[in-house]
Amino acid sequence: MDTQQFEKLLLQVQKPGRYSGGESGSIIKDKEKVDVRFAFCFPDTYEIGMSHLGMKILYSLFNSREDIWCERVFAPWTDFEAVMRENNIPLFALESRDAIKDFDFIGFTLQYEMAYTNVLNMLDLAGLPLKSADRTSLSPLVVAGGPCVCNPEPIADFIDLFFLGEGEEVDLEIIDLYKEHKKKGSTKEEFLRAAAKIEGVYVPSLYDIEYNEDNTIKSVTPKNGAPAVISKRIIKDMDKCYYPDNFVVPYIEIVHDRVVQEVFRGCIRGCRFCQAGFIYRPVREKSSDTVNRQARALCENTGYDEISLSSLSTSDYREIEPLLNKLLGWTEKSYVSLALPSLRIDNFSDELLDKIKHIRKSGLTFAPEAGTQRLRDVINKNVTEEEILNTCRTAFEGGYTAVKLYFMLGLPTETDEDLKGIADLGQKIVNEFYSMPNKPKGKSVSVSISVSTFVPKPFTPFQFEPQITKEEIHRRQEYLKSCITTRKISLSYHDSATSSLEGVFARGDRRLGAVIELAYKNGCTFDSWTECFDDEKWKKAFEDAGVSPEFYANRLRDYSEINPWDHLDYGVTKKFLIKENETAHNEKTTPNCREKCSACGAACYGEGVCFEKR
Amino acid sequence: MGRVFALRNVRIYFSKLGRMKFVSHLDLTRFMARLIKKSKIPVWYTEGFNRHIYMNFAVPLSLGFESTCEIMDIRIVDENFTNSQCLEQLNSVAAEDIKFFAVNDPVLPTKEIGYADFILSFEELKAETASKLSAFLQSDSILCEKTGKKGKVKQIDLIPKIKSFLLEDKTLNLTLVAGSEDNLNPSLVMDTFFSQTETEPIFYSVTRTAILDKKGNKFK
Ligand code: SF4
Repeated sequence: MDTQQFEKLLLQVQKPGRYSGGESGSIIKDKEKVDVRFAFCFPDTYEIGMSHLGMKILYSLFNSREDIWCERVFAPWTDFEAVMRENNIPLFALESRDAIKDFDFIGFTLQYEMAYTNVLNMLDLAGLPLKSADRTSLSPLVVAGGPCVCNPEPIADFIDLFFLGEGEEVDLEIIDLYKEHKKKGSTKEEFLRAAAKIEGVYVPSLYDIEYNEDNTIKSVTPKNGAPAVISKRIIKDMDKCYYPDNFVVPYIEIVHDRVVQEVFRGCIRGCRFCQAGFIYRPVREKSSDTVNRQARALCENTGYDEISLSSLSTSDYREIEPLLNKLLGWTEKSYVSLALPSLRIDNFSDELLDKIKHIRKSGLTFAPEAGTQRLRDVINKNVTEEEILNTCRTAFEGGYTAVKLYFMLGLPTETDEDLKGIADLGQKIVNEFYSMPNKPKGKSVSVSISVSTFVPKPFTPFQFEPQITKEEIHRRQEYLKSCITTRKISLSYHDSATSSLEGVFARGDRRLGAVIELAYKNGCTFDSWTECFDDEKWKKAFEDAGVSPEFYANRLRDYSEINPWDHLDYGVTKKFLIKENETAHNEKTTPNCREKCSACGAACYGEGVCFEKR
Repeated sequence: MGRVFALRNVRIYFSKLGRMKFVSHLDLTRFMARLIKKSKIPVWYTEGFNRHIYMNFAVPLSLGFESTCEIMDIRIVDENFTNSQCLEQLNSVAAEDIKFFAVNDPVLPTKEIGYADFILSFEELKAETASKLSAFLQSDSILCEKTGKKGKVKQIDLIPKIKSFLLEDKTLNLTLVAGSEDNLNPSLVMDTFFSQTETEPIFYSVTRTAILDKKGNKFK
């Protein structure tokens, strides 16, 4: 690409820093000296993609190999897309500015369903046919990983192969296999057949799906030697697992602009709505020494002055106290601050609260998720009202005045009483503040309640449950609004417009491929952005494809039904999920992995919390 | 607080070229803070709850402009730390399109900045446009509207703010008032030219080549 011409075009767009490349930590190699060029594509904006830890890990890992050059690609925002199309600029990688259609791999990370049209748009901008079947040469291979891969069926037509689970090992195995086949001059078909034999690799074109008359799945049949069940991959020893010692540090501000230090994978909790809590099982921790060492190296190499500890539930980290002590031993001196997200309240000890109080006075956030104890038992969120109120009181006494609460609307078995419980809990927190004898003078309390819409997800005990309809979502939102009577409580809803659609794709099958393609051709991209989301276009796409969204989202699924993802194995067994679903309907909780193993199936990997001494 | 340091101001000179021209001033300050942190220079952090590295940029550079003459002041807390050590440590972590070329003791405070030199390179400049531009810059006055900091639109005359110009071939050298009190952006000159003379806008790139004091000497 002509640099001058390109840079001139960049000056016409809103945020040229999204496309200019050249950030500190970005990796430039000699393309003549590498065997494999990998375009790591994040199907959303630069700011969101650059904040994603998985991408940082794999980018550095791939580039740590001399024979691979991995580059970053993000979805161009609509203004730059228009410029690209007008000037015939194909989708390019940030580091080399070379067109990605000439790369060996185009790898997408699928973090949320609403990015699917962006995947199609990026393939189109690259100048490639959208469908896997229409891309006949060995390269570029279009591959994908990430949590959505636990049910990749809606997007299966467009992707050549999927990586199930954690990518650090299996991605490199596939790259090595590809190198062999490229040398041999294999066809794409030959390569894909061989690839399907590697554990953790799912080649959708090697499976025939048959449907019953009622549209449910009749059978999934592997062909050409592909395995009947595909198992996810996990990293067994987190202390030995690759972790980058440097990040690409953007010039423009991104969502998480700091050192993100992973402490463990998985979650012991088993909240029944939470897909991450099941598909990343079992919990595997890094030692506090490893975490401390990695965080320190990252700070030194990036120049960041803030660290956030990352996991699904950092306060469940067994070595949290030693870790905080180790970190505080050097961070304070070097003016580095610590941010501790997603601290759960049920083991938020006074001591720990005291420690983090010195670190940073950020807002207090809790995620009770449901408004009544009954419903919290149903979803297995083992948090009691008493605990919430106690923690709030301790925090108020420590000087906090703002509380943020996260809830979900539309959970299985939810009634209006549960919704009212949300407002009541907010009110009780307000009362707790005013009941303090020595409350700070002249200060008022603010409770903000943020409510998202529940979406049933595969590999959770709620995978069988119907999602409530759009109309019902709206009715419940209005009802909840009417329950709040004080200005001290603010209520906000997010992504309710898209959650119905998310519900369709989360549990969809291959027939949705046509819908995604039609919606894309109608002009849908950036569907997770309210300013871009166009429900009418989606409605039309469903109509034109003759597919009913309600069939996927709003139907109660029988335990015996074959789900589109049943041939994928994420450790947790369907038997366990059924048992958990029944326990949920009995309004009973299930102990966490450290209290008692519930034999979910994830012990099959032979590692992690399943083998800890209890 | 509590500890007393012998603080020393140092003035850092650097260039901002190539891909760095897409880095806005705000983003540059964040970038510099990280770069200084990586360089391990013993810098002074501001006091208070949210402590950050003290940095003072002479005159912000617009997004899209390149520069060979940027200036930034920082404070050193270690008396024995020399300017050449500072320069070396900065360059050891510098990015591709940022180069540090001098670190000196400041002579004048930044409020003494008076002018800046710019080179505008046109992609294409027809003889006719060139003569129009030349005539435009020699007018007695160029009145135009400028939106002030508080959103107030006021009328200003550009001519007194243009100290000198030289139009040669496809480049225009401009010396414009600069600094915290008064500042003229070359884009405003060109935008006014295009609109007032009804000339089809042509693409040009901008490089700032010098920051001058009120007497017109290199600002040091
Ligand atoms: S097997 Fe037991 S300990 Fe292991 S993840 Fe499942 S429930 Fe937890």
